[in-house]
Amino acid sequence: MSLAAFVDEAAIASGAAELRGAASTVAFDRVSVAYRGAVVLKPLTLEVAAGEILAMIGPSGSGKTTALRAVAGFVRPASGRIRIGGADVTDLPPYARGLAMVVQNYALFPHMRVFDNVAFGLHARRAPKALVEARVAEALSVVGMAPYVRRYPRELSGGQQQRVAIARALAVRPKVLLLDEPLSALDAQIRRSMVEEIARLHGELPDLTVLYVTHDQSEALTLADRIAILKDGALSAVGRTGDLYRRPPNRFSAEFLGRANLLSVVVESDADASGFVAVRAGDERLVVPGADDRVGATRLLCVRPQNLTLAPDGAHSNRLVGTLREIHWQGELTHLVAQVGDALLRVVATRLPTIPARGERLEMFFAPADASLIAEDADV
Amino acid sequence: MLVWSRSGKLAVWSFAALLVGIVFLAPLAVILAASFAGQWNGVLPSGFTFEHYRQAGDGASGEAVFASLATGVVASLLALISGAWAALALRSQGGGAARTLGVLFFVPSAVPSVSVGLSLLVAFSQKPLLLNGTTAIVFIAHFVLISAFSFGNVSAGLARVSPDFEEVASCLGATPFYRLRRVTLPLVAPYLFAAFGLSFALSMGELGATVMVYPPGWVTLPVAIFGLTDRGDIFSGAALTIVLVAVTLALLLALERISSVQTQARNG
Amino acid sequence: MSDAAASPHGARVDLGALWIAPPLIALAVLFLYPLTLIAHAAVYDSGDALNLAAAWATLGSRAFVNALVNTAEIALASTAGSLALGLALALIIAFVPFPGATFVARLIDTFIALPTFLATLAFTFLYGSAGVLNGALMQSLHLADPPVHFLYSAWGVILAEVTVYSPFVLRPLLAAFSLVDRGQIEAASLLGARPWRIVRQVILPAALPAAIAGGSLCLLLTVNEFGIVLFIGAKGVITLPLLIYDKAIQESDYQAACVIAMVNVALSLGLFGLYRLAARRLGA
Repeated sequence: MSLAAFVDEAAIASGAAELRGAASTVAFDRVSVAYRGAVVLKPLTLEVAAGEILAMIGPSGSGKTTALRAVAGFVRPASGRIRIGGADVTDLPPYARGLAMVVQNYALFPHMRVFDNVAFGLHARRAPKALVEARVAEALSVVGMAPYVRRYPRELSGGQQQRVAIARALAVRPKVLLLDEPLSALDAQIRRSMVEEIARLHGELPDLTVLYVTHDQSEALTLADRIAILKDGALSAVGRTGDLYRRPPNRFSAEFLGRANLLSVVVESDADASGFVAVRAGDERLVVPGADDRVGATRLLCVRPQNLTLAPDGAHSNRLVGTLREIHWQGELTHLVAQVGDALLRVVATRLPTIPARGERLEMFFAPADASLIAEDADV
Repeated sequence: MLVWSRSGKLAVWSFAALLVGIVFLAPLAVILAASFAGQWNGVLPSGFTFEHYRQAGDGASGEAVFASLATGVVASLLALISGAWAALALRSQGGGAARTLGVLFFVPSAVPSVSVGLSLLVAFSQKPLLLNGTTAIVFIAHFVLISAFSFGNVSAGLARVSPDFEEVASCLGATPFYRLRRVTLPLVAPYLFAAFGLSFALSMGELGATVMVYPPGWVTLPVAIFGLTDRGDIFSGAALTIVLVAVTLALLLALERISSVQTQARNG
Repeated sequence: MSDAAASPHGARVDLGALWIAPPLIALAVLFLYPLTLIAHAAVYDSGDALNLAAAWATLGSRAFVNALVNTAEIALASTAGSLALGLALALIIAFVPFPGATFVARLIDTFIALPTFLATLAFTFLYGSAGVLNGALMQSLHLADPPVHFLYSAWGVILAEVTVYSPFVLRPLLAAFSLVDRGQIEAASLLGARPWRIVRQVILPAALPAAIAGGSLCLLLTVNEFGIVLFIGAKGVITLPLLIYDKAIQESDYQAACVIAMVNVALSLGLFGLYRLAARRLGA
């Protein structure tokens, strides 16, 4: 199977120019949505770059699904405009926007075989027969479902159905691919392999812009180039995945994206040449990255559980002392909970030379670069 | 699981069998027997004969079979189209107005059939539309009486179709008509079949409105059967009734066969 | 078929609202317009003059009052009978299952597809003067005259209507019973409750909404029933629909027929409203 053939359709049909889906940008321009008088999405301004995967995550009711449906055209914004590839599509019906969608419950048409399902978008857009057959074949082999082309959806498992749904979306070469919690209906094990599938797909189709809505932060961390965190209908934080994870801008994103230990500290010194400041946590003096933090300010120190270790070495120069409250061995990892002052800190360790006992004094170490400071009130 | 003892169960089952037998099966059996009987004095019929059925085949009775079939098929098709159209249109609206209109479409099923017949007689015996004495008025009467059932059936079916299907279809590029044709209607197909079957059965048995408006040349089976029994010719009436029942059941069975073949393919 | 969804702030003209027009127009022309005409004909005589006196006369006439009373009595009795029969059969089919129970339920369901007068015709053979029951009784008891006459009275109508309309009660009851938690019944049995107690305290409360919905539907249908009453053809048994038929077709007295029809329609619409209310309580 040659990806070049998938991308190059010039040899197949000359009149199919409109099906040539180039990577497109998506722009929310102060888009707000109201439902029966209540504001479901506050004015949102957000840009998705061409060819990137942007994950929109947040708890239920955060407005992430509403934002996705606004892009699709199922929901009409109360104010603001939506632009795809620079063109204002706010007044266009869903079928004229050149998009494709994959939903949680697959929504494969039960009365059609796999072939007709995957070909649906192409038939709806009146693609010539040769192009349809070529696209369907390519789409099915990209997701690994080519042998099932004559089956009915009811004969397929959940994971297989979702692959066909993805093929159905890819076949039309959409400007933007919309994914609405696509893995939520799958078993945990299938979900893990599907996440890897999607990552592989995105690698093979660098032209595909993807808007991915999920409540599962581990999916977002694995797949997304950038993440937008929504809360109560508004954007709480947005940024590149790594940056957002290592330097969360506010408490909500620190706690929603991965797990975080948050400790109240006071800044003690100005930033030095390499951008580190000294802070005080109880009796301990710690060195962490900081820039705009003035002396005397109160901050939240954020350090992830897996970055705390019980065995010191040169790199992990920061130390916290507490009392062990709980310890749970879970096979791959050991979870510990220690009380430091008023706060409970979680530690995740893969290897423990000795097993500490409950009530023991516990020393925990972390490297300066593995922590960050959050302004307490920086909650959007 | 209410009754545990063997004797208790047997007692209950016998009671049930008696009820079902007397109330439901006996009438059917008796009419079937009468349709083959030369005469019936006393407990059992006598004189086995096909004469009544032969008579049912020709002349006025044969025409009645045709009239009932034609009326049934035409009225049911119209009712299906109208009911499905209304159900689809109202569903995409939602809100209070849609609910009120929905109730309005159910009202014809509540109004007594004789009154419907009378109203059509009165309305179409005068300007601007003169239909008195035509077959069209019979079609209209049946259509009005059965359209509510198609509407109800299709509405129920549409309510069970997940909005996901139509949304995804839309997103993939399907215009509203394309979506209706290739996604929505196939998904409610079982309900369409059921609606047609029910409408047809109701039309075949309709008497109250038909007897008020029918023209001499268009006698349906129920009207013909009444004519026979009113004259005392109850055996021929019985035979014609069996013909009516047989035709109705045959069509219902055929519909069910077609419908289940379709659902087999998609649901297993 | 519009695509505009949740937001009420859309400024786009929604063509979707107009799609309801064709069926609505058909309904208006073929159903509502004729109904208004009979309302008109009820109070205006053939000379197009307002003639309320004739309307009152009809409403006060013995024939009308008798028909009204008959209709009410027969409808109530038939509904009660259908409820009793439907409940008994539903209980047995749902809770004392026997092989073929579903087949029996489906068979009874099919009866809904059959014409209503079929029951009456059958009864003529079963319970008529020259019928099976009379024949058997006369033979075995050596009687000269047929002892059983109920067919040519209101009881004949009632029995036929119970036969025809109990499936309408049976279906919702079976549906309601299928939702009753079997675990509850088994637990009650283990605790020593006799069957009647279980029925009373566990099953009937579950059945009540379905019974009310089915019962009000039955009431509506029996008030409107025509074929059965026509086929019975008994002199003393005249219901409103039959009276309308007599007035219009036999006597050509259209004004009287329209007056009675208005009463019949009003009664039916009232019962229909009751049924919708009951069905909504059921959660339908």
